[in-house]
Amino acid sequence: MRLIFKNLNVLRSTINAISTSIEIKEIVESAGTNLPNLFDFSSFGVFWKEDLLLFLYQEESCPPSFAQEVVKNMIKVFSILGEEAVDADRIALQVEKRKLRPRQMMMDPKATLKSYLTLPLTVEGEILGCISLNSDQPNAFDAQDLQFLSVIGYQMAATLKHFQRFSSIKNIAIYDTLTGLYNRRYFEERLGVETQKYFYGGTPLSLVMVDIDHFKKVNDTFGHTEGDQVLCKISSLLKTSVRKKDTVARYGGEEFILILPEAGLEESFVIAERIRRLVENTPCEVGQAQVNLTLSMGISNFPSHRAKSKEELVKMADQALYDAKRGGRNKVCIFAGKSAQWTVPT
Amino acid sequence: MAPALKDDKGGKWSSDLVLDLYSNLLAEIWELVSALIGEAILAFLFNLAIRKLGEKHPFLNSLKVSEDGISLDGVREDCRTVAPVEIHRGFQSLINHLSHLFSALAEGVINKELFPKVFPKVKEAERIISQK
Repeated sequence: MRLIFKNLNVLRSTINAISTSIEIKEIVESAGTNLPNLFDFSSFGVFWKEDLLLFLYQEESCPPSFAQEVVKNMIKVFSILGEEAVDADRIALQVEKRKLRPRQMMMDPKATLKSYLTLPLTVEGEILGCISLNSDQPNAFDAQDLQFLSVIGYQMAATLKHFQRFSSIKNIAIYDTLTGLYNRRYFEERLGVETQKYFYGGTPLSLVMVDIDHFKKVNDTFGHTEGDQVLCKISSLLKTSVRKKDTVARYGGEEFILILPEAGLEESFVIAERIRRLVENTPCEVGQAQVNLTLSMGISNFPSHRAKSKEELVKMADQALYDAKRGGRNKVCIFAGKSAQWTVPT
Repeated sequence: MAPALKDDKGGKWSSDLVLDLYSNLLAEIWELVSALIGEAILAFLFNLAIRKLGEKHPFLNSLKVSEDGISLDGVREDCRTVAPVEIHRGFQSLINHLSHLFSALAEGVINKELFPKVFPKVKEAERIISQK
């Protein structure tokens, strides 16, 4: 009876640790830390379908062949439960080794999987993944182990579901629903972070404000649905033309903005000019017609323009964009105070 | 499809007899296995098995399983014209498939608890069917 109480207390603290976790890795670590007090096992696995992540928390003497067998078995069971084959090559495996056994009970280097318990992580009829307890000993688990594991699995599934919901809310909060680019709110946040990097570390930073030339004409001629498609097309061109560390956001209407961290004036001009030419040379299907769109762009930069704040940097990029428009459109213009620096398309 | 047969003694349709028997059996499986793996996982496994077998035994699609348990109300309605032997085969397949899922998940741990209780009842259903 005392043993049952002890186990229930361990179970309670395991559940508590899982429910207060804020990321999947933390869930697995919380569970992994507590599970050795409940079960004798060689390896504990958590597979999360959404991100194709498989975490293995295992005894440090666990041979790689054993881990491979566990992974294979978990995928096999999940494929039965999820009614779909899972491509093992696409799964990201993370292994955490811990000392779970005394030295005299270290695993044989040729140890094989002799027993396991695997349970689906399921919420409201949806399968999110599975968890698995594995051992190199035959008949290592009994009905009580299964009961405890199911309680842990239930809490894990509920916590993962919260993560999923939170992540979709987060997506709504940071992405523009039409174009899939970051929205203005996220841009402000990101710019804040990058500005801090400049002020404290001196890392240069450029902003490129982008506007589609004569976009109103597209909307008036072809209608708003076609206009939306043009916005999506331009967004996709912008996304594929920048570096991995850059941020592309929809600033509003037909205006976009790029944050180019660590880019000096020259590099940001090269990037902007590349985008300008790409758009100019990519015919865009609008309804039944093909139109050639152009962009006007304005660049501002920390430290070249001596802006004192992120707001000022945005204003400078906006001023440069205005100059590009005034100068005939289809241009990249660098902020130059009252007198703008023009670049002529070649 | 063969028509439903009538039980000689009580005047009850033998389809109903088979349904009663499996209704009790499923309730027993539910009670026993849900104590081991919880209602959410068990309901998930039941629905997985029903999806798998629903095409071959369409009446199983009327079996409603949720975390609250199993309801055979729809099945009773749909089985009025189904032969008892078909009902028996459908439920037998369901139990076999569940048992296959249980062993895929927990090797012998669940089935070891389940078999002694389920096996005699499936035999009893077979006996009822063979008498007709």
